[in-house]
Amino acid sequence: MEAIFAPRSVAVYGASRDERKLGHVLLRNVTTGGFGGRVVAVNPGAGEVLGLPAVPTLDEPVDLALVSVPAAAARAAVADAARAGCRAAIVLASGFGETGEAGQAVEQRLAALAGEAGMRLVGPNCMGVVSRHGDGWLNGSYFWRLPERPGGVSLVSQSGAFGGMFFAEARRRGLGVARFLSVGNCADVTESDALEWLAGDSATAVVGLFVEAFKDGRRFVAAAERCEKPVVVLKAGKGRAGARAAVSHTGSLAGRHGAARAAFARAGVVEADTADDFFDALQALAALPRAGRCVAVLTVSGGPAVLAADAAERLGLRLPPPGPATVRLVRELAPPFAAAGNPIDLTPQCPPEGFPPAIAAVFDDPAFDGVLVVNCGLDVPEFGRGVAAAARRTGKPVAAFVLDVPAVEAELAAAGIPVLGSPERAAAAYAAVATR
Amino acid sequence: MRSLTEWESKALLGDVPRPREALTRSRAEAVAFASSVGGPVVAKASGIVHKTEHRGVRVGADVTAVWDQLAALGDGTVLVAELLHGELELIAGGVRDPQFGPIVSIGLGGVAAEVLQDVAFLLAPTAPGELDSAIARLRSAPLFDGHRGRPPVDRGQLQRILDAIGGLLAGDPDVVEVDVNPVLVAGGRPFVVDALVVRSR
Repeated sequence: MEAIFAPRSVAVYGASRDERKLGHVLLRNVTTGGFGGRVVAVNPGAGEVLGLPAVPTLDEPVDLALVSVPAAAARAAVADAARAGCRAAIVLASGFGETGEAGQAVEQRLAALAGEAGMRLVGPNCMGVVSRHGDGWLNGSYFWRLPERPGGVSLVSQSGAFGGMFFAEARRRGLGVARFLSVGNCADVTESDALEWLAGDSATAVVGLFVEAFKDGRRFVAAAERCEKPVVVLKAGKGRAGARAAVSHTGSLAGRHGAARAAFARAGVVEADTADDFFDALQALAALPRAGRCVAVLTVSGGPAVLAADAAERLGLRLPPPGPATVRLVRELAPPFAAAGNPIDLTPQCPPEGFPPAIAAVFDDPAFDGVLVVNCGLDVPEFGRGVAAAARRTGKPVAAFVLDVPAVEAELAAAGIPVLGSPERAAAAYAAVATR
Repeated sequence: MRSLTEWESKALLGDVPRPREALTRSRAEAVAFASSVGGPVVAKASGIVHKTEHRGVRVGADVTAVWDQLAALGDGTVLVAELLHGELELIAGGVRDPQFGPIVSIGLGGVAAEVLQDVAFLLAPTAPGELDSAIARLRSAPLFDGHRGRPPVDRGQLQRILDAIGGLLAGDPDVVEVDVNPVLVAGGRPFVVDALVVRSR
């Protein structure tokens, strides 16, 4: 697995001079991504591609062979890589198990061929690997836009296209990325192999997993149980369509997702229901420490804060009342009509200089493990500074929903506080970091 | 798919709490068993699915009067059981999942099982503490904890029933689905009142 995520040398099978061919795109991605290791172009027909001399076959082993040739030629490429002694191969080509039984048989023969040579095989039918490499990236994928920031988030995906969503969301949210592996049809390397490796990877802090069908469900559960890092799972294919007709009530109630629910409960993973939930949870877990379930909803915006509180309760978070010291200070600093329950509404009429000490009191209150911040339209810098300073000082996790408050948002961003798209999503992001 | 009879299904579950009951092969046998129970009984046709809908279940019946009819409705035998009165109906069950193998379930049973679908699933065999946290996730969790002065449901006995279901799935690869519906809770003690095992062959 090391050879897949952290190879020192790479070969590209199907490295074409034709810019429209995927093999050309792949070689260009490898050579321009900032990969510091040796790169070999393999193509029997081409003399030179992108300034690299192309060889017809590998004459010495590389750690990782990237195979971007039509399905019919994939077997010869995998056989060549295996013969040369490569440690791993990623078959990006499509046209295998996803096409039916004949394709499945071909795919199994590829895996067997690799297995006999002691070579791991990723794919087929995948988008490849993107992995932090020194100060640059190994971009062994068809994606030409790399993550903008290195960081702790790693993604394993059975869907290549979902990888595109991941990179777009990471850019939009400023998420730092460590590794991405598209496992495709999982003929050999499965989501569990990748999870096991990422669990021990020093660059990875959080693992996201997009799965359509677990290859070995129990092995995934065991791997997730052993993984000390947070794991977020988005499982597609929960609907009734395609489910086997059940004879019993239990069979019909289980549907296609009952077992996965049971497995996620055992594995201790965060289950996301939607793509938004998934990226929100990754964003929160990348930014925030894990903490308890008692939250304060801190706001200047009544209605939206109640929505956050409602969502928090639905998600199993607790909203205890603030302690007497906090109530006393809020009464002292905020107007008489401020609410010192939970939500704690300091109101827009709170004098700016009142915000930092009132906010500090909420963060210091031992009743709360963390804070949900809701601010619609009150762009008072003291509010943002108060939240940022208290969050830094206490280390308590904060998730925020803010609207039309650029000065406040800048303060929160500088303190690394995740800002989510709605009050409910802020509550859900907090719930992702809350321990059971 | 082959649905086993209630009697066969219960036999496969082994040692789980059940009402006193017997599969009778004649009216005389049924009458003798009913009198040994010494109280009201329920008589059930054997070997038909959806017994209730087919009028195959007679509660508090005079077995002499209904035996022939029930025997004709089913496979020629009649299951006679002590009639239990309980405070709560639960559903337990199990299925073999293609990705995760045997899983078991616990939830609110009877008519509510279909309408409310308040059922939690667990990987089998269950790990310590998992049954309690699964029950805590149910909307009906307060009913398990002794709602309105009722005794709480005996978790140890529930665990025994789930272990029996999980064991059956683990031990016999042909078993694909198990329903134990209802599990009747009487005085806090759960009893397997009806069971259905579905085998692939």
